Amino acid sequence: MSTRTAPPAAITVAGLGKRFAAGGAPVLDDVTLTIGSGEFVCLLGASGCGKSTLLNIIAGLERPTSGTVEVASGNAAVMFQESALLPWLTARRNVELALELRGVRRDRRRNEALALLDVVNLADAAEKRPHELSGGMRQRVALARALAQDRQVLLMDEPFAALDAITRDLLHEQLELVWRQTGRTIVFVTHNVREAARLGQRVLLMSSRPGRIVNEWRIDDTGPRRIESPEVATLAIEITDQLRKELRRNAA
Amino acid sequence: MPPEVIAQRDPELDARGRTDLRTLEAGLDALQTGDVSSRSGVRRILGGVVPPVILVIVLLLAWQLYTVVAHPRPDLAPGPLDVLGSFGSAWTSGRLPVAVLTSLQRGVLGFLIAVAIGTPLGLLLAEVRWLRRALGPLISGLQVLPSVAWVPAAILWFGLTDATVYFVVLMGAVPSITNGLVSGVEQVPPQLRRVGTVLGASRLQLATRVILPAALPGYLAGLKQGWAFSWRSLMAAEIITVGGTIGFGLGSMLQQSRELADLAAVLTTIITILAIGIIVELLAFAPVERRLLRRRGLLVATAVGR
Ligand SMILES: Nc1ncnc2c1ncn2[C@@H]1O[C@H](COP(=O)(O)OP(=O)(O)OP(=O)(O)O)[C@@H](O)[C@H]1O
Ligand SMILES: [Mg+2]
Repeated sequence: MSTRTAPPAAITVAGLGKRFAAGGAPVLDDVTLTIGSGEFVCLLGASGCGKSTLLNIIAGLERPTSGTVEVASGNAAVMFQESALLPWLTARRNVELALELRGVRRDRRRNEALALLDVVNLADAAEKRPHELSGGMRQRVALARALAQDRQVLLMDEPFAALDAITRDLLHEQLELVWRQTGRTIVFVTHNVREAARLGQRVLLMSSRPGRIVNEWRIDDTGPRRIESPEVATLAIEITDQLRKELRRNAA
Repeated sequence: MPPEVIAQRDPELDARGRTDLRTLEAGLDALQTGDVSSRSGVRRILGGVVPPVILVIVLLLAWQLYTVVAHPRPDLAPGPLDVLGSFGSAWTSGRLPVAVLTSLQRGVLGFLIAVAIGTPLGLLLAEVRWLRRALGPLISGLQVLPSVAWVPAAILWFGLTDATVYFVVLMGAVPSITNGLVSGVEQVPPQLRRVGTVLGASRLQLATRVILPAALPGYLAGLKQGWAFSWRSLMAAEIITVGGTIGFGLGSMLQQSRELADLAAVLTTIITILAIGIIVELLAFAPVERRLLRRRGLLVATAVGR
């Protein structure tokens, strides 16, 4: 894949700053990054360093105090840690709602929703309501709903953090498959180093107070890699060392 | 690079990975979703009906036993059979049916008017923050004020007419309904609003597709309380305001029976008022509420049965 030159930018963040209270300490300071179209980027950082804030600003849910954010495709789809499914709708209707709000015609919604649920292997659970599904299944419905938005960029805020390791492992595989099949640009926030090393093509490390991008790793994409593999472990050790350096700097 | 190219890198490997993942996920899903067996409807209804019916029968037997054994003065402590007789004669004479019909009609109409007023008011308060700050405490206060307190004022304003009765009913029910809706909207998880925004909902779509459905349990609780307050306020108003163009309702009948010192008729009326309250609750609100909560997984284990 050496012929692959830098893809066009999907997300451009320049000089981004954010403080919640006027005059308070900045949560984000001078964050500058470019994410290429079709890239899978993991954003890693200690708890409270501003990962969610950055993601929410990119999603347009929050305004930056300074700097600019540009999402080339216009809008982004978002997935949260809690599936945030509407509890009174079945899995299918949750996906259909996203289609409806996107403007898909009524007579096409049902089939499209079922097709999307099939992508996450949940066609059989289409008529179940969220409370009848396990946490992992709910997140897969949420993934199908995010795909239903049909946006080039998919922002994910610790989407698998609340799941058990076995379920999470399968969801990693699922997400990777979806990414490879749909060519979406994915920004995946996590504080799990191995998860980042397992999934990302690029891992960005954020510092705390103020939140900045302090380090970056590019991982050659040689196809799916397993979370137990030595490559992932080696990278995870390297990233963890950097993370600890950051933490020590904060203590000083 | 267009996405298709990525997808077609190694179709064979992808396909194999896909089927394997499918099997794994199906296995995990089967493990994680327990079989939620719900008991049959008939058994559930029987389970809900039988205990209270048995309790009522036991109470009636005890009451009858007391009258047989202790021989109290029948004008001060009529037995169940006396009350039953009084009920029969009130029914056949046509007084009771007329009173039930009059009161029920007023109660339902008054409640519907209260819904028509309380709902838009609640929406307005939920949406406009400064209005909620200003009016919220007043409406909560009105909920505490017994609506009977309005009867004298209403009589002075509207005289002995139906308007007086409806006014009192509205003052009883509207605050509950409004408050229920406002607190229902307040309790909508912020996460759901954010999801609506992310999905691209307009303000109106956000309200109709996300916030209102999410607020439904709170609204329903408000409606239930609103009905209870309507019915209570109506009885209070009917007891106090007799005469004029006001028709003959259950409250009027209660008052009349008291004047005649007919305790059996008084008890007949009280039991009728109570029964109507229970029947409306059981037939109108309980099924809707049960369905609503069950759909959202909020009805975990019904208290009925083991
Ligand atoms: N709405 C808000 N008002 C004030 N402060 C906020 C707000 N949201 C976040 N913060 C603060 O900004 C900082 C960064 O928060 P953020 O949620 O972005 O962190 P995070 O990296 O996502 O953490 P976690 O890993 O715990 O999710 C925290 O110190 C938090 O207290
Ligand atoms: Mg966060």
